[in-house]
Amino acid sequence: MDYKNFQKILIEKALAAGFSDCEVYYKGSKHFEVMIMEGEVSDYENSALQGISFRGTWQGRTGYAYTEKLTEPAADYLVAAAKEHAELLSESEWEELYHAGDAYPALEGENKALERLTTEEKILAAKKMEHAALKGEDSIASMDYCVLDTDWMETAIANSYGLSLYHAKNSVTAYVCAIAKDGEEVKTGSYFWKGNDWKQFDPVATGRKAAQIAASHLGAAPIASGKYKVVLDGPVMANFLGVFCGVFFAENIQKGFSMLGGKVGEQIAADCVTLRDDPLLPEGYASTPFDSEGVPCYNKAVVENGVLKTYLYNRKAARKDGVPSTGNGFKAGLTAPIKTAVTNFYLAPGQRSQAELLADMGEGILITDITGLHAGANTVSGDFSLSAEGFLVTDGKLGQAVEQITVAGNFYELLKNITEAANDLYFTSGGKGAPSVRVREMDIAGK
Amino acid sequence: MLKKSVVEHTLEAALETGADFAELYVEQTKRNHIAMVNGQVETALGGLDYGAGIRLFCGNRVIYAFVNDTSEENLVRTAREMASTVKGTHLLRLPDWKTRQWQNINPIFVLPDDVEKRKKADYLAAASAAAFAYDPAITQTRTGFLDVTKNVLVANSEGVWAEERRVRSRFTVEAVASSATEKQSGHLGPGGSVGFELFDQINVEDTAREAARIAMTMLGAKPCPAGKMPVVIDNGFGGVIFHEACGHGLEATAVARNASVFAGKLGQQIASPLVTAIDDGTIPNGWGSANMDDEGTPTRRNVLIENGILKTYLVDRMNGRKMGAAVTGSARRENYRFAPTSRMTNTFLAPGDSTPESIIADTPYGLYAKQMGGGSVDPATGAFNFAVLEAYIIRNGQICEPVRGATLIGKGAEVLMQIDKVGNNLKRAQGMCGSISGSIPTDVGQPMIRVKEMTVGGRG
Repeated sequence: MDYKNFQKILIEKALAAGFSDCEVYYKGSKHFEVMIMEGEVSDYENSALQGISFRGTWQGRTGYAYTEKLTEPAADYLVAAAKEHAELLSESEWEELYHAGDAYPALEGENKALERLTTEEKILAAKKMEHAALKGEDSIASMDYCVLDTDWMETAIANSYGLSLYHAKNSVTAYVCAIAKDGEEVKTGSYFWKGNDWKQFDPVATGRKAAQIAASHLGAAPIASGKYKVVLDGPVMANFLGVFCGVFFAENIQKGFSMLGGKVGEQIAADCVTLRDDPLLPEGYASTPFDSEGVPCYNKAVVENGVLKTYLYNRKAARKDGVPSTGNGFKAGLTAPIKTAVTNFYLAPGQRSQAELLADMGEGILITDITGLHAGANTVSGDFSLSAEGFLVTDGKLGQAVEQITVAGNFYELLKNITEAANDLYFTSGGKGAPSVRVREMDIAGK
Repeated sequence: MLKKSVVEHTLEAALETGADFAELYVEQTKRNHIAMVNGQVETALGGLDYGAGIRLFCGNRVIYAFVNDTSEENLVRTAREMASTVKGTHLLRLPDWKTRQWQNINPIFVLPDDVEKRKKADYLAAASAAAFAYDPAITQTRTGFLDVTKNVLVANSEGVWAEERRVRSRFTVEAVASSATEKQSGHLGPGGSVGFELFDQINVEDTAREAARIAMTMLGAKPCPAGKMPVVIDNGFGGVIFHEACGHGLEATAVARNASVFAGKLGQQIASPLVTAIDDGTIPNGWGSANMDDEGTPTRRNVLIENGILKTYLVDRMNGRKMGAAVTGSARRENYRFAPTSRMTNTFLAPGDSTPESIIADTPYGLYAKQMGGGSVDPATGAFNFAVLEAYIIRNGQICEPVRGATLIGKGAEVLMQIDKVGNNLKRAQGMCGSISGSIPTDVGQPMIRVKEMTVGGRG
């Protein structure tokens, strides 16, 4: 049955079974993907999915269950399973549902023109992107991948208090990775474009950029271990923010999984550091008018000129602290409960270019890639030790490519040691953003 | 899960325009997860995953679609839309079904989905209490139990009809030790293709105390020194180093498009003669075991490297076609949302002759990596990285002070050649492996090994 019908029937069944309130979260999506290999379509993918996540209050506790089958027996299963789950919980595990009534920001997530784009146009663009990557530099030997995706997604939240919300968004993502070779030496370079205005997509520039990145890292060697002055490239800093943003979540602070407890109003970062979470950013990859609990979203500074302004809250954590939710209650998918997440979360850019920061630094290293964040970063203590690549900087200019080094440090200290942010703000496809930043000093292990 | 006629009509629609292979994969999964923080249930979740994936081949082109509306009308319409992108010359007809049968390698005694959730929570509470009792400095615990019951059907245009019920259970425990200035954690996660009898096979309290011990050890530890040095990697989860440094590069996914440093090296010496590496999807009740892969091919034991010589890659149907290689029962996917591709199952280094004691005694200076964390690799370059959760300095053949925050980096092709000791104490451990066909359960394993020289990252 269609989701609206399913929402209605499920709410009726849950209330009849004794739930005091309940919420039905629906997500539908359509996905198209084409992969090009050597000028031909190698993989072609299409999908249409839908699913329901249910939560409701049963004897003062919140029970969850989900299904990808939208049938009447599945509705009965959800009610029974959510009840059983609620009974297991301790009494404090109650999530108060959101009552309707607030105004929501206007946000257009869907570009209808994109839905009219033909498969042939998408394939042609992907082929152009691959061709540009292969021809981009003499050293490009082959492709790791060349993919073009289009996504369309709808979210609908209804609850027994009359809340009824709907938002749809769509996007194209093109991602490409080229392999450069020089003798036995191999380097990969990847780049992507994401947006929902097809006219802004330049497949040739995207492909060429991947080729340039791969080729620029050839001839890389480790450097001697020691302490170095560092500039972190925008994507690197953005990835740090993605991994460590949980330190700003009230629910982690309440459980003792962050070191920022009791620090609101205090200086926790250098003066030049401002971190914003902006769910309404025009063309933001993670823009949304409401969170997964139906709370309206708004733009806010989390850190302003180095001072911690607020934690990020979902409704349950906000209730504990006696404050309103900041509209950061999100679920990672149908199977997940409401947790906290950021939207477009970024370090605000400064005035000068990366080149000017490098010139100021004189001697040091520009780090362009880090890997191993999922394992080599401790999100509680803030410690990290990660595999890295980049370039030596001598006389303020880029020099020798560097590989097979690790960079070690601590996220809390990093925030304090940033001396300047450049003007080249970059966003990852997940909406985490940062410009290049200059850092006083970091520990490098190499030769 | 689906009527034969629905499967047949879908595959026939998929073949209408001359594709040379068509496959339907249907899945229904029941999932239960209970998680405790500090001995209190914080999360109790569960649900139903349901959907189908249709795959067509036309030469080297793959067309894949997935839906969770599996009505005949929707499946046939989807198959027809896919077929519309194909102009093939084949006019295949469905042969009679050949139903795949086997002696079940993963017998299940107690279906975890049938077990009362309260009983599961009791084990988690006991584990939490054991961790707290280990030392007053243990300030937080997280414990969890996940069980999955997945019913899978694979049917294809070659007449394969294969069905399997896959049951997996896993217990996880994390203990956090705190001092005034820092927090360190230890975690373990034993599991298998087993039912609720997992709790007869492991002792949750011992496991929790081991996690607490790791956290306490690291709490007092100094930062790891950085630089190049010999590294002794202990057994069990230490096998993640082979998984990342080499395993991913042997998957046909990377080899077929020449994006692996091991492409074109069959029959060549790619590792030290001490190295024999095996991927075995048939280990009874193993975490990465199944009777068939996700293309309906029976799983098997594949010797990847024998005495340092590369013997085979892990090959799925499409990449096998591109490479001219036979399938190895290695096609896997997280669920119906992913087309299958070649992946590892239970991968391990075979045991050698050295005793662990003699390996340590023979090392004048180096790092002893007792517990490894996760890692990742770029198969195209072979560059890998790992976190080490529990590490010590070896000095004069003795294990000395613990050190924290160590990272190991290197290149797979180089590190394999540098293995100069292989112990006799093989052990396997469980992990989740993420790649292009999703996140899947895989076992890693090895005896203790020594790598002559590796780059160690740290802040000391």
